[in-house]
Amino acid sequence: MSSNNNTDRQSLELVLRGISKRFGDVVALEPSDLVVKPGVLLSLLGPSGCGKTTTLRVIAGFEAADTGSVLIGGKDVTLLPPNKRGLGMVFQNYSLFPHMTVADNVAFGLRMEKASEQEIKRRVGEMLDLVQLPGVEKRFPNQLSGGQQQRIALARSLVTNPSVLLLDEPLGALDKNLRETMQFELRRIQNTLGITTILVTHDQEEALTLSDQVVVMDQGRFQQIGTPSEVYESPETRFVSEFLGTSNLLSGDISAPTDSDDRKVTLQYGEVKTVIESPGAPSIPAGPATIAIRPEKIVLSKRSPEMRNVLQGIVKGHVFRGSYHAYEISVAGRDDPIFVYDQAGERSTDAVHPIGSGVYLTWKRENSVVLRD
Amino acid sequence: MTDQVRRGTSRGFSGVVSPWWIAVTALFLVVFFVIPIINNLLNTDQLVTLAKQRPASFYYEKLFTDPYYLGIVADTVTLSVGVTVICIIIGYPVALFLVRHAGRWSGLVIFLLIAPLLTSIIMRTFGWRVLFARRGLLNDFLLWIDAIEKPILFLNGPTSAVIGLVHVLVPFMVLSIASVLRSIDLQLEESARILGASRFKTFLKVTFPLSLDGIGTGFIIVFLLANGSFVTLLLLGGGELKTLPLLIYQQFTISRDFQFAAAMSNVLLAIAVGCLYLQLRLIKRKGVKG
Ligand SMILES: Nc1ncnc2c1ncn2[C@@H]1O[C@H](COP(=O)(O)OP(=O)(O)OP(=O)(O)O)[C@@H](O)[C@H]1O
Ligand SMILES: [Mg+2]
Repeated sequence: MSSNNNTDRQSLELVLRGISKRFGDVVALEPSDLVVKPGVLLSLLGPSGCGKTTTLRVIAGFEAADTGSVLIGGKDVTLLPPNKRGLGMVFQNYSLFPHMTVADNVAFGLRMEKASEQEIKRRVGEMLDLVQLPGVEKRFPNQLSGGQQQRIALARSLVTNPSVLLLDEPLGALDKNLRETMQFELRRIQNTLGITTILVTHDQEEALTLSDQVVVMDQGRFQQIGTPSEVYESPETRFVSEFLGTSNLLSGDISAPTDSDDRKVTLQYGEVKTVIESPGAPSIPAGPATIAIRPEKIVLSKRSPEMRNVLQGIVKGHVFRGSYHAYEISVAGRDDPIFVYDQAGERSTDAVHPIGSGVYLTWKRENSVVLRD
Repeated sequence: MTDQVRRGTSRGFSGVVSPWWIAVTALFLVVFFVIPIINNLLNTDQLVTLAKQRPASFYYEKLFTDPYYLGIVADTVTLSVGVTVICIIIGYPVALFLVRHAGRWSGLVIFLLIAPLLTSIIMRTFGWRVLFARRGLLNDFLLWIDAIEKPILFLNGPTSAVIGLVHVLVPFMVLSIASVLRSIDLQLEESARILGASRFKTFLKVTFPLSLDGIGTGFIIVFLLANGSFVTLLLLGGGELKTLPLLIYQQFTISRDFQFAAAMSNVLLAIAVGCLYLQLRLIKRKGVKG
């Protein structure tokens, strides 16, 4: 289509408006909105079957959305076939053409644009340099290692200067070490080209370390959209909090929203009644609610601290994890233990709070978040 | 593709089938297949017949120098290649439809393909005779719509023979192409699409090249079957069309020249073995590449 303006094609903004998709009775994607700013690397994170691939395939045009529209750079592409959308895509299993050499694989997109052979040769060389695999032009895909195939797949998808790059678990099939190397590599290449990128993954760490923005998905719904630290530090829903790692969840009754940001949550553990404070979203109504506190945000002390959010417990377990002490603390009336990671600077591997001793748990009010269910 | 080859070569005996069961089949083949063939190879030389005894080379020379017989060998090969090519042209779209678009109907399509194979080849061929007869269904129809003025003689010529053969052989082509098409990863086609290839370009650059192995296998199977076909040609070709199998039959029943017949069947056998060798090479090459 667009033959020669490809070299200066800008990375563009991607917008999803009310996109939804169902397969028979299965709702793969609830009506969802998303804005990905130009040059941003956004991760779609969620458990298996939550609709990540479906979202990507709707953007790519392989699945027709039931409702809503897809906009790339402000242009509605909802009805365009995949080959007219100007996107790049890398699949989990590389999907290199087995009957073509590496050079022909990388050149495929350019040939479709009817670029000159001279131009093709130059661009293929450039791309192989970019993915740090020069000199493999003449090989066939099955003569490359998994990591090399992945790089070639990336080169192939980037050679046409796509406006948006779609990556469906691109590192899923690699072993752990290679995976980490490739994560950095991916980020480096993405930064170099400044290309708008959507990365599908079910690996929390990958999403949090690699991306500018994270969308946490569950059951076809975008649960939360934000920067990695936003979704990690202030999860909005119980699902996000649980999915992003071991948060302590405390259930109780929340007071009605007031003018100030403060919300009071009453925890009822057996006989014990504790009122804690937390900054809460005003949208959450009074009634049962759950708050989340990360283990590393809780401070332990032997004497009752002069603070407001305080729980009392007994140390049940302790592990030294190299850089921190992990405690398991039982609180009277509560079934689940509360986990605390104590980053205390002591060199000792011994517990500061021995098993069986009583401790006070406390945290700053801004370190707890009220969750929606 | 690679997987397929590997599966093919490493397929061991499953728990259900004991290796000894093979022995029964092997014995059967040795007694009724291998021994007769060896016998036939010697026949050219030794069998005493009503015809005058001549050395074997005489018969091969006759077959390959006499323009009449050479023409028949050439006709046989031409007919087989032609039938095979038509089978590819008809069979490929059917296979593509079967694999990509039939969905839950694919079982039905496969049944429709295989069902004819369950009836006797003679029955199917007679069916064509009924359709193609001077006052058959086809001529009646053409007369009725005024497309022709008098019945066309479809029968007893190459046309009806080719149609009959294609009808009998096209399922083999469809099944061998479909099995390879089915093994092609759909994501390869999607990769091509997202890289800017239209549906047609995707087919041309990805799907078709990757299905060549299926065409190759189908080619060899159909070519061999067409080469050796006898009943269809006898019933639909009506003597107009002479191929090696028909000539062999003639030598046996009419000329009673058993030695010449044996020589011809050896040539037919050599063509078949040559084809199988080609097929083996094809598979080997794939194996090395994988
Ligand atoms: N072609 C299809 N036909 C029917 N159902 C489908 C189809 N594709 C996806 N689904 C269903 O839609 C839901 C979402 O699937 P999707 O592939 O998007 O999940 P995912 O988040 O990519 O999962 P994974 O991490 O396992 O790849 C699943 O329940 C799946 O079974
Ligand atoms: Mg997926």
